[in-house]
Amino acid sequence: MENEKRTIVVPGEKVFNDQRRVDGGYADAAGTFATTMAMVHEDRLVPLKGYYLPKPGDFVVGIVKEETFNGYEIELNSPYDGRLSTRETRERFLVGDVISAKVADVNEIHEPIIAEPRKLGGGEVLDVESVKVPRIIGRNASMVETIKQHTKSELFVGKNGRVYVKGGNTALAIRAILKICKEAHTGGLTDRIVALLEGRE
Amino acid sequence: MAVSEEKQMIVNGKRLDGRGFNDLRPISIKAGVLKRANGSALIEWGRNKVLAGIFGPREVVPRHMTNPKRAIIQARYIMAPFSGQEEHGRSGPNRRSMEISKVAKHVFENVVMTNMFPKTMINVDMEVLQSDGGTRVAAITAASVALADAGIPMKDLVCGVSTGRINGQLVVDLDKTEDNYGESDMPLILSPRTGEVLLHQIDGKLTKEEIAQAMDMSFEASKKIHELQVAALKGRYERVLAETENGNNGGGN
Repeated sequence: MENEKRTIVVPGEKVFNDQRRVDGGYADAAGTFATTMAMVHEDRLVPLKGYYLPKPGDFVVGIVKEETFNGYEIELNSPYDGRLSTRETRERFLVGDVISAKVADVNEIHEPIIAEPRKLGGGEVLDVESVKVPRIIGRNASMVETIKQHTKSELFVGKNGRVYVKGGNTALAIRAILKICKEAHTGGLTDRIVALLEGRE
Repeated sequence: MAVSEEKQMIVNGKRLDGRGFNDLRPISIKAGVLKRANGSALIEWGRNKVLAGIFGPREVVPRHMTNPKRAIIQARYIMAPFSGQEEHGRSGPNRRSMEISKVAKHVFENVVMTNMFPKTMINVDMEVLQSDGGTRVAAITAASVALADAGIPMKDLVCGVSTGRINGQLVVDLDKTEDNYGESDMPLILSPRTGEVLLHQIDGKLTKEEIAQAMDMSFEASKKIHELQVAALKGRYERVLAETENGNNGGGN
């Protein structure tokens, strides 16, 4: 997506003249229209704003919100909190603990069941927009690998828009991630991030 | 407001502030002004200043209001105690602000895709910081930008304007003096893409023909407001795009 013209659309703006089923769009007799702020890229819409809706198989970074009689409620940077059963783990969590976990299942109203929890400690948690996560990870995890190489930090990028950063030059890693989020809709981003990481900026 | 004598508000074909009959007051919209809200917008519309903030979708409180099929929208329009020259807002929520909150809620229920977020609540808070007539349309226009800024899926960016009659002449975008001493006032909110009318109220008397004409005038004026909304939302992204493209000249992308 490096050399194409980027068109930014707002809700209600026409994206295609025909009716198509696309994420972030809706169709009626007059064509297909955007529902959120997005960028038109070939035949799809890349959202610039949006909320995380859990999907089975997603790896997420959550924060323990509440302990219940049979498990925990996990805050996931989403309108829907995750449920973690005590049967999933022998570990005991406290309210406020940061965990990495997997979304095991989601019901018809998006409410997720969480599995495979692992306590994260000693690092920093960064909240970003979930729509920017694909850009932070990059094609075949290239972007995240670049950051890891240059900063020697341990990075865990949750699909829900939470990044866990531990060790190495965390300040630089966080600066790089924030820059990715700010410039996610622009081209040539990898070059600029490398420049930032190498101290050429 | 009932007045005993008619005020002269049109002189030499111009209104008191020098505008023509179809002219809007100067409008500026800024999106993303609050850090803690999911989405926000500040509109300055003549002497009106309205701040809109969006929270949610989030858990519904009180819980019994939960709808398992869709998100509920809670709109809150309120005037700050220092917003006006009169008693507006001085004693908290009142009949007027509750009415406007209710009609605003119905406007957003028609455009927000509430079915995408079942069992949640979206709060649309509109705070009038300074008022000078036409605050309900300004507030809904700002809230619509704030909703888009929050990333809540919706079918269109709604906007609108009030039109009314002063000294027997239909004019667009009445200010406080024209509203108080004029003959009638008709706020209108519409979906610019489809032309659907989402809010239509009339205070005072207008004939059938005048209503038709006033609606045409509102539709025309709304187009300009919609352009400003779009510019406010796109501006931030396009600025970053322009910056990076300038910096990349010859960079071999």
